[in-house]
Amino acid sequence: MADGQEWDIDSLLAAARIDFAVRLPLRIEEIELLATGEKWAEARREIHKLRGSAATYGFEDIGSTAVFLEDLLLAADGAPSPDARLRFDEALRDARAQADRAAQEGL
Amino acid sequence: MSGVAKSSRDDAQVFSQGEVVADTYEIRALLGAGGMGEVYEAHDRQLNRRVAIKVVRNNVAADYLLREGRALAAIHHAGVVTVHTMGRHRGIAFLVLERVQGISLDRLIEERRKHSERFAVGEAIELLVAVADALTIVHRAGLTHRDVKPANVMLAPGGRVVLMDFGLVLPHADRAGHRTVAGSLDYMAPEALTGELAEGAAHLVDVYGLGVLAFELLAGIRPFDSAEESTDVYRMKMSSPPPAVASRRSDVPDRLSTLIGQMMAADPNERPQTAEAALWQLRSIRDRRGSAATNKPFTVLVVDDDPDMRTALALYVRAAAPGADIETIGDGRQAIRSVRRRVPDLLLVDLDLPDINGVEVCMLVRGMQLGDACMIVSVSGRATRADVELLTQLGVRSIQKGPSVMNELVQLVQQMRPRS
Repeated sequence: MADGQEWDIDSLLAAARIDFAVRLPLRIEEIELLATGEKWAEARREIHKLRGSAATYGFEDIGSTAVFLEDLLLAADGAPSPDARLRFDEALRDARAQADRAAQEGL
Repeated sequence: MSGVAKSSRDDAQVFSQGEVVADTYEIRALLGAGGMGEVYEAHDRQLNRRVAIKVVRNNVAADYLLREGRALAAIHHAGVVTVHTMGRHRGIAFLVLERVQGISLDRLIEERRKHSERFAVGEAIELLVAVADALTIVHRAGLTHRDVKPANVMLAPGGRVVLMDFGLVLPHADRAGHRTVAGSLDYMAPEALTGELAEGAAHLVDVYGLGVLAFELLAGIRPFDSAEESTDVYRMKMSSPPPAVASRRSDVPDRLSTLIGQMMAADPNERPQTAEAALWQLRSIRDRRGSAATNKPFTVLVVDDDPDMRTALALYVRAAAPGADIETIGDGRQAIRSVRRRVPDLLLVDLDLPDINGVEVCMLVRGMQLGDACMIVSVSGRATRADVELLTQLGVRSIQKGPSVMNELVQLVQQMRPRS
């Protein structure tokens, strides 16, 4: 570091993980809003980002749910069918519960 | 096909599409045409491969074709297009060449010019080393290319740089041929413009051409304006000293600027006396830049549209290299601009980016001919097998997003750090 201090990388990583966890419900909320507005391309992009970062930060349950959501939207290639939409909403509720739990642990 | 030696063009093609030349080469497409002849893409039915076929329109040009074929047959080098065979079909002489896929350097220069982008100095030096290396081989074979210019340099996959179009090539010993004015005005040495080449010094026209090419790569423009008549260009080249590249951009090392000026000296005696001498100087400049770089911090560019991933990747790099200079960017276009501005030691790139995707970013960066100056690693959540295969061919390492990213990245950076 410029000030000569050693990087306490473990603390920084832990802080970044907590910061990520407490913002998870907001990220799910954003996806919910995009889905409500049927902005499927944007929703897929946000889900894709969540998929990568959740798995990387060690939130593998949310990462797996995001994989399911993204695959569903990729298969739909646009607006999901009514049946797919039901499964999408159900998985998104799971993601919301997982995100809330992660945020609680983070706090 | 080459500049001044061109005559008016006959629009009728020598060979037609679908025609099978010499019972073997099925003509697929016309690749290019000039005053002296045409180049086709063809399919070799015997060996089941793509080839290029060059034909000429008249007997004088046929002599050039024979000369080109023999010259190329004497050379085996990755930097020089390979000749497969020569033949005649319907009385027309043809040359069968390796089909080099890629982009010509003049097109790449034009692309950069259009987007107001420059070649990074390191990138330009790598290209110049490759062209000088190929020229050295040509000269060792006792030949002078006589048409060294960006249009005759192809950038092929795998970082290969190939010198093309030997249509004007001459043996050093051919005194009569050297009195013929031939080449492309902008890149022609003054003595080639008058056809007055000193004995034993013919190859120095190629050194001059390399100098002009180097100037154009770095400055983005040519040193002399060929909009003038050839006599005016000659006068300019003889009377004005070549402009210094360093005066056009401050990041060009003085040694490189001086070398380019020497290569473009009006008096052939003031140029580096062989392409090999220029090559060694270029290598020395490159190596010196490399060793200067060892005192610089380890530079990393992280490209991901997710800010959380950018944070995580930057922290993982920091864990292995606390003093690393890390830049984070959210889109591919900006990443390309950043690499052109400063080549990072390590480029971490997400494949799924909103504008140009990560695979394209990798291809564009590899197209910059940086050699091993930049290690590229794709960090992706959803790379397909085809993506990974293509990336492997490009020399890009792939890491899957997930809990193992940190360990993989830390290991990689620790392996790389001795270089920095």
